[in-house]
Amino acid sequence: MNCRECTEHLYEFLDKELTPEVEREIRTHLEDCPPCGEHFDFERLFLDFLQARCRARGAPPDLKRRILRELFDE
Amino acid sequence: MSTATPATPAPGPVDEKRATFEREALVHLDSLYRVALRLTGNAADADDLVQETMLKAYRAWDQYEKGTNAKGWLLTILRHAFINEYRRRTRHPETVDLDAIEPYSVFGDVQDDDPQGTFFDRIVDDEVLRAIDQLPEQFRETVVLSDVEGLSYEEIARILEVPVGTVKSRLFRARRLLQRKLYDYAVGMGYIKASPA
Repeated sequence: MNCRECTEHLYEFLDKELTPEVEREIRTHLEDCPPCGEHFDFERLFLDFLQARCRARGAPPDLKRRILRELFDE
Repeated sequence: MSTATPATPAPGPVDEKRATFEREALVHLDSLYRVALRLTGNAADADDLVQETMLKAYRAWDQYEKGTNAKGWLLTILRHAFINEYRRRTRHPETVDLDAIEPYSVFGDVQDDDPQGTFFDRIVDDEVLRAIDQLPEQFRETVVLSDVEGLSYEEIARILEVPVGTVKSRLFRARRLLQRKLYDYAVGMGYIKASPA
């Protein structure tokens, strides 16, 4: 696997969406190719950052009360 | 001598329906709200969209196969409700040529000065959410289902009713676009030096 092919699978690799065979090929490439390794690390940090920033908030407490009232007439 | 304990009345069908709905559907309220907020772009419409979704889901609850993927089922209902009832009056359908968006990583710009992307740490939640809200709708919904809700490509494909390959390509472009927006913001704020063109 060359650098271009490896980068094409970048997010599938980070999202754990690849078959074990392709995943292994990528790991092997990353071990042998420091520039791709750094790039993948950067993208992984970006996704971790994105997820940490977006997952914190939930529904306002009043919304659940409104829905329960509407559904079950409470 | 009697050892009988008072019998608990058997739950009626309505109690049962309510109990399963609370256990399998209402637990996903936070997820539905986060997605609704990003789709509609404001809290009041997100509230209404989630409420509408829960009402539709409760009415259709008999059709949901219990114990399967309730979150995916609810998100599909939410998305249909958004397309049919909200998009028309909240956001106008977009005419963006998504294929024309060139997805290149900002890694090339930062690899000498900040290969670890530490500038991201200085960007606050609201700024990230604002950048997501500025994405074209097809990118926005894909990124929200993936990075905000953590769904698999397969689940996202089912909810958006597109092939898995489309999910992959949208996600790739959406994340790159988002990365670029956040990088430009960080440059603008002086968190990182702009790379020489």
